[in-house]
Amino acid sequence: MNWLNILSYRHFPIYAIMVLFLGAFLIVLFGRNRWARHILAFLSVASSLAFLIALVRPVMLGGEIIAYWMGGRVPAGGYAIGIALEVDALSLFFGLLIATAVFVACLYSFRYMEHDDNIPQYYTLFLMLAGGVLGLVLSGDLFNMFIMVEILTFAAVALTAFRNTANGALEAAFKYLVVGSIGSSCILAGTILLYAQVHTLNFAQLSALIPGGLNNATKVAFALLFVGFCTKAFLVPFHPLAADAHGAAPASISVLISGVLTKSGLYGIIRLVYFLFQSMGLGTIQFMLVFVGSVSMFVCVTMALAQHDFKRLLAFHSISQIGYVLSAAGLATALGISAGLYHAMNHTLFKGLLFLTAGAVLHKTGTTDLGKLGGLSKKMPHTTVLFLIGAASISGIPPFNGFASKWMIYQATYQKAVESGNIGFLLVTIIALITSVLTLASFVKVTQSVFFGRLPAAYENVTEVPFGMRFAMGIFAALCVVTGLFPDYVTRWLTEPAARAVFSVGQYINDMMGAGYAESVMGGLAPAQQTVSFVHVGVWSPVSWLLVLCIMLLAVTLAAVLGKYDRVSENAGEKVPGKYDLFFGGEESVYSQVGGGDLFWGFKHNWRHYFRFMYDLHSGVVNDYALWAVVALSLAVVFLQIVL
Amino acid sequence: MPQLLISALSYLGYILIFPGFLFCFLVGLLLAGIDRKLVARMQKRVGPPILQPFYDFFKLMGKETIVPAAASRTTFLLAPLVGLAALVVLQLFIPIFSFSAFSGVADVIVILYLLLIPALAIILGGAASGSPYAGVGLSREMVTVIACELPLVLVLLAVGRAVGTATGSGICFSMTQIVQYQIENGSLITRASMIPAALAMLLVIPGETGSHPFDAAEAETEICEGMLAEYSGAPLGVYKLSHAIKLLTMSSLFTALFLGGIGTGVIVLDALILFAVCLVVTVVMISLLHAVTARLKIEQIFKYYWTVVSGLALISLVLAWYGF
Amino acid sequence: MILMNYIVSFFLLALGMYCIVTKYNLVKTVIGLSIMDYGVNLLIISIGFNPGGTAPIFTWGELTPSSFFVDPIPQALTLTSIVIGACVTAMSLALVMKLQESYGTLDTREIRRLRG
Repeated sequence: MNWLNILSYRHFPIYAIMVLFLGAFLIVLFGRNRWARHILAFLSVASSLAFLIALVRPVMLGGEIIAYWMGGRVPAGGYAIGIALEVDALSLFFGLLIATAVFVACLYSFRYMEHDDNIPQYYTLFLMLAGGVLGLVLSGDLFNMFIMVEILTFAAVALTAFRNTANGALEAAFKYLVVGSIGSSCILAGTILLYAQVHTLNFAQLSALIPGGLNNATKVAFALLFVGFCTKAFLVPFHPLAADAHGAAPASISVLISGVLTKSGLYGIIRLVYFLFQSMGLGTIQFMLVFVGSVSMFVCVTMALAQHDFKRLLAFHSISQIGYVLSAAGLATALGISAGLYHAMNHTLFKGLLFLTAGAVLHKTGTTDLGKLGGLSKKMPHTTVLFLIGAASISGIPPFNGFASKWMIYQATYQKAVESGNIGFLLVTIIALITSVLTLASFVKVTQSVFFGRLPAAYENVTEVPFGMRFAMGIFAALCVVTGLFPDYVTRWLTEPAARAVFSVGQYINDMMGAGYAESVMGGLAPAQQTVSFVHVGVWSPVSWLLVLCIMLLAVTLAAVLGKYDRVSENAGEKVPGKYDLFFGGEESVYSQVGGGDLFWGFKHNWRHYFRFMYDLHSGVVNDYALWAVVALSLAVVFLQIVL
Repeated sequence: MPQLLISALSYLGYILIFPGFLFCFLVGLLLAGIDRKLVARMQKRVGPPILQPFYDFFKLMGKETIVPAAASRTTFLLAPLVGLAALVVLQLFIPIFSFSAFSGVADVIVILYLLLIPALAIILGGAASGSPYAGVGLSREMVTVIACELPLVLVLLAVGRAVGTATGSGICFSMTQIVQYQIENGSLITRASMIPAALAMLLVIPGETGSHPFDAAEAETEICEGMLAEYSGAPLGVYKLSHAIKLLTMSSLFTALFLGGIGTGVIVLDALILFAVCLVVTVVMISLLHAVTARLKIEQIFKYYWTVVSGLALISLVLAWYGF
Repeated sequence: MILMNYIVSFFLLALGMYCIVTKYNLVKTVIGLSIMDYGVNLLIISIGFNPGGTAPIFTWGELTPSSFFVDPIPQALTLTSIVIGACVTAMSLALVMKLQESYGTLDTREIRRLRG
């Protein structure tokens, strides 16, 4: 046997998954020692990330698809007999995203989880979660995907309940488990129905055989799989789970749930509609995706405005951004998918940053209640700056990364509206723009309630978080800025190859099952290589803009300094009583800070019936959430039976 | 080498002199002064001299800056500068008829987002000051921004679609192309379908600049000017300057979108025509409204913008969509 | 290809969902989850059945092109699914125990501190 063969890059996908599971196993054995734990965890996540980065050259830039049959069991007689991993640009894109988020969350966990019990179990579950999600996106076999979905649901539920004395952790974990299991059962039922039709579980072979033979059973399977993956991505109507789970989990796990698990659900949906059923040419399927995405966008951002817990608010925003991605991916144009994937990447980065800052605040003050916090910018200046970068990114302020991807999404939806002549897509553009400004409002509220304002007496002794945590947050912040300043490079190297891969179903099938398979099996329905075009209708050059802004800022600062901008009183030692106090109408300062719940009264007053209705609807009872899941499933089954 | 030097110097000239900092400074404060004088005259008062904002600015620059003990010092002092810089940079990307200093950098969507930055700067400055009046003020300012955003979005989409169908590309987001189309084919305001959008844009201008009757965010009589309550000295001067420059920016945006065809091609004349148009817009929409109306409550502002003004813009959008 | 099996499996799936949606006791919710899993397992195993087929266990040389056996893959899938179902039941019962300790009740209408 040629031993050097094991170093070939073709094996890297399986290595990337196995080091994570191996790390989890080794931590069970050697986890008592703190250094052993940290070194093992760091080595696992770092080597997983390194393996995936090494794959960028052949897969992303070279356009190759790695079809890896486990145990060397290649297809025989035109039938797939082994379990396969298939890494094309789309899988690698999501894989890189996942590996980066896992790496940074792991670095953050080292200091964040110091004071907890059962830390070895935390790292074990963490690495299992990471391995499960990576296995999901790199897998080429439908049942393997289901197994990975179960692994990651399990690990995520256990990690949500990890700090089981925290308020609501057990409750959140139970609700997540119940509705998540409904979703997983749907995925399994869908997989089995597909197996019953064609007796294969291999993704590529299914993609070749299913589209030609759509009968009632496969339509039901489509609905089941779609609803199952929507559960994993926490779209409407499964969004209350997200709010509960994110709020209760430790911050590094919230990063994974919002940045990684939701992406796995999105990956499943994209594979389902573009590859497995190849039905995106139908206007009704596009409508379904865009409708679910837009409703998620809008409902979740309005729910977020009404929250008074920091992490729950971030969780609702997370789902709102996922709504953006799904709306863009549902357009079935190359620009749309590219924009959606770019936004998915940005979402992982800025949402991860925001959750980590929320974790930093929780770590030091012990609470995330917006009504109780205030004035933390004086005690935690670095955290404040990092939070402001994250908040600017999610609101879409130029030149951060949120703006670059949102800009592309607006162009994609408007272009689609013009091309198809359907004014409904224009409505999506308008909803997206309004959601963006409501997101900004929400983060202004959080900034005012948590970081500015008056510092309550209980937090006088709060200090800045340890360097390890700040370093991890800094990595995300730096990535936010870089991906915002150089959107051309990001699209050329990462999102365009992935978007191209979405339209290359024929190549996907042929690379897996042998050349010419797609044409021979599918006959006239074989998907031709579509021409993809990424034409933008607008202009945006972030580096030039930033240069002009810096020159202007320099000029203005110079003028300010010359005008003696900051004239401190010369006799600063002589304290004039009351000179540096806040003005409160001339009365003794019985301080009243505008509470987080009272901000934006003008907006909330006009929408009070809607907010009341939504509050009553999200009742917190697990039966209601399960009822929504069942209703969504029924609607999906009926809709897809009629439409396909 | 001299070529590079010349182009660098000319860009620097654009940024600092025209249509950059110096131009904005002079014209903005002049417009603010004329506005104050006219409002006073309409209310049968004498009013301050027209150059009063200049006097105010230089006086404030010389005063002492008191940073409250409860404030976050860096953000408190930095926010006004960032707001001013962003606003002037925004002015650079709005074409003055056929003259466009930086044409390949920003389009209509970018301008929409860049308009948020000055508002955000004043909000952050107010939040940093730690005053309870600032809390109320920034809440109202944010609601005003949300309120003005929907009609502005609809107007921009309508204009983009109108120009796009006419040039055959479907949609057009580039500012220079919109102005170019108007120079060749006549201003957009002459098309009947664009008149509701122009009206909507005119109504958005007092909201964006925070003028009466939409100035609940800076209500002097209720919340001691809200976010500026704790500001004094030079930072306050910079905020007043930003407020004045915003008058120029919003009016020139309106001109570029709807009146792009009345330029001549000579830069000096174009600048004068722009000044004249800005003057008329300021007089009509800002001074006149200021003098004759009472202040609206914040929920009334929100309702007004999201029903009446958005309705006008929506009519234009639908008409432009179907090609009228 | 047994029609009764298919009908029963979808009935169990629906029954499990009904149980989760309408029962207000945590333990009954867990039972509902398990019933859903059993329904799917029944579906899987029924799909592999070929009437008249033998068990898919052969030694070298016994396997000929004319052997007629039931499909072994669904049997493997069912085993995997049963194991997953057992894990889910175990974890959910553990959570139920801790919830009972911390909230003092098993009624889902009481366990709703996270709402809105």
